[in-house]
Amino acid sequence: MNPVTALFANDYDEDGFRNCSVTGLDIHRSAENHVKLFGLTAVIAMVVGGLFAISVALTRWELIGLIPEDGYYRHLSMHAWNLLIFWMVFMEIAILYVGGPMVLGRRLPITSVAKAGWVTMVVGAVGINWSIWTVDGGQVAPLLTAYVPLDVPAAFYASAVLFLVGATVAALPFFVAIWKEKRLGSSETLPLVAFGAFVTSIIAVMAILGGIAAFSYALIWKLEIINSINAGIYRQLYWIIGHGSQQINLLAMITVWYFLTHVVGGAVVVSEKVSRSAFILYLFFINLGAAHHLMVDPGLSAGWRIFNTSYAFYGAAFASMIHAFAIPAGIEAGRRQRGLGGGLFGWLTSAPWKNPVFSSTVFSIILFGFVGGITGVLMGQLQLNMTWHNTFATVGHFHGTVAVGTTLAFIGLVFFVIKTMFRRDYLSGTLASLVPYFYASAMGIATLMMMYIGILYGVPRRTSSVVRNIPGTDFSLSAAQPLFMIFGVFAVLAITAGALFVLVSVGSILFGRQLDRDDDAGLLPDGGLRADGGESIHAVDMRGTFALCLIFMATFVALYALNWFLLTRLWSIGA
Amino acid sequence: MSDPLDSPDGNWWDRAVNRREAIWLGIAGAWSLGIFGWMSGFTQFGDQNPIGETYEVEIEEYRQRVSEYKDEAADSTEFEDAIVPPGDDVYVAGLRFFWDGLPVVLEAGREYDIHLSSYDVQHGFSVRPEESLSKQINLQVFPESEWVVPMSFDEPGTYHVICNEFCGNGHNSMHGKFYVKE
Repeated sequence: MNPVTALFANDYDEDGFRNCSVTGLDIHRSAENHVKLFGLTAVIAMVVGGLFAISVALTRWELIGLIPEDGYYRHLSMHAWNLLIFWMVFMEIAILYVGGPMVLGRRLPITSVAKAGWVTMVVGAVGINWSIWTVDGGQVAPLLTAYVPLDVPAAFYASAVLFLVGATVAALPFFVAIWKEKRLGSSETLPLVAFGAFVTSIIAVMAILGGIAAFSYALIWKLEIINSINAGIYRQLYWIIGHGSQQINLLAMITVWYFLTHVVGGAVVVSEKVSRSAFILYLFFINLGAAHHLMVDPGLSAGWRIFNTSYAFYGAAFASMIHAFAIPAGIEAGRRQRGLGGGLFGWLTSAPWKNPVFSSTVFSIILFGFVGGITGVLMGQLQLNMTWHNTFATVGHFHGTVAVGTTLAFIGLVFFVIKTMFRRDYLSGTLASLVPYFYASAMGIATLMMMYIGILYGVPRRTSSVVRNIPGTDFSLSAAQPLFMIFGVFAVLAITAGALFVLVSVGSILFGRQLDRDDDAGLLPDGGLRADGGESIHAVDMRGTFALCLIFMATFVALYALNWFLLTRLWSIGA
Repeated sequence: MSDPLDSPDGNWWDRAVNRREAIWLGIAGAWSLGIFGWMSGFTQFGDQNPIGETYEVEIEEYRQRVSEYKDEAADSTEFEDAIVPPGDDVYVAGLRFFWDGLPVVLEAGREYDIHLSSYDVQHGFSVRPEESLSKQINLQVFPESEWVVPMSFDEPGTYHVICNEFCGNGHNSMHGKFYVKE
């Protein structure tokens, strides 16, 4: 068998199904192969974006100052699009196919549409990379936002539209699978993971439509079909996808949290009602968060900004805090029921910390909440945004959410898929176990440094030199240099950890030991996926989770107070 | 309790919620409303709000207004190349790669209407006093849009303005100053 065919091979029965030895799910070849296809493409995008992390980090670390200004914007654009968009969105399509057809035990319908979607996305992604890389003359690299009226290549906007259309097409088989389940399958409630995936897909479509509108608007202006373009309107449209794409990440990630904590940690759903209600709150309110980016824009009324930035009275932040309790509580209740660990935190200390799927997922939950989540709410407050907007702290925020939080969850998922779908053992169990610890700590510290540098020294984002030298003036932000020393070192370590992840995962897929058909690959929690007997659920309490959540809330309140204190020291601004 | 890969059994909606989870819902809900209330209230009682009137304006028209304003303004005797505004209005315009209208000399404690716009692309109006970099504010600046944001600088000193929105190759050299004196 040639190596490519081998990647997509497994022991299926004559109907194309196999029973997963880990999850117990009936998995059809069509679903599994497309999950692999989109997942592998995502990892390739991660490698490309990761390579540009090297030049971007080593330029911002002005001690090194690797590339000059004009090259820097191209490198930054490549870094942003490949990691924030392509690594995430390809992975999310794979997650939809897991959450839909796989969890429901169905085949993936209309596979030719899935393939057409993949091809369109790949052509769009290659087009975006090409148009960024070949930018020259008076034109400029788009960065992530391609703000009009900058002179960004028309090919960039066209490719972006193509990529988004491709993502919509690729999501269609998922919708058909859900439709078939409800119309032709059972009348039962969707499992929570499938429900989460479904809400994710709706958020995704809302975001993508906004993106198509924004990039099309810019494209017809570039093609001179319309004469002028309004920067404010473009920004409103753009941020529907710009922030919305990151809300897709959030929902996909939370769905993965419920999925993986259950399979490898023995978690249960403590309240279907509460967890599902939180997803419904997201459905209505989370995309209002796009307004976070418009807090210090002219032309928008204070009322509009306050309503939208708060996701309508913090409906979506409330939803996130619900998951912040429900998921660890699920682990606690599931493990206590099995008699795994007593005391306040015994359920946590006895958990499978050497399993990289578990550790990635738990680090993702903790760091997303404490680093990404809290800062997102802070900088989304109308007034605090004045001190965060376009500073390096903003970059810290979305590295807390995407580069630490979501990326760790997806790293856990890739480790899971290597064993369960590619049916390979890790090339090195020790190195695999090391990856989440190494990556979470290095990236976590690099992210915190970005925030300190941005808030305490007002260092802006998107610039190649400003700390040691602002060309043409004596003024500089050189007081931030010591923190940049820490940032630089830990950014390099984080990139090394990312490289280690790619090495271990790709190496395992190609050269790992083939697992036997019934081998559970050591992934399952003690007592198996569904433990029999054990403590009655009525005797199970959630005091450990409650304590953790109180620590979270105390941190939130303290950081909130600190940020407002810093703001009120400023001179008086505004009507 | 059920697991997330299976359909929940029976009437899952009416199943009781754990007491600690219910308490957490209360805490999280109260906090959500609390921070909403603080943010809204601060627009009424607070001194730092990114709020001001916005007017549509043609680029050429704004350039003309800034030019007239600069003609009216006096040259500073203390600071090189700086102007002293004729009244309470201060005009600033971003263009690649400097701030038109700056440097300008202001009086500490006096409220000025800062008019912000751009002659070309979007810019980021990012201001901090030289002595205390953590005291900084950032506002977005658009072409064809004139944003009038009142400000009064309490502390005398030099305030540096840099651009923190990517505006093209040369963006990192964009710099201007407010001189605030007693």
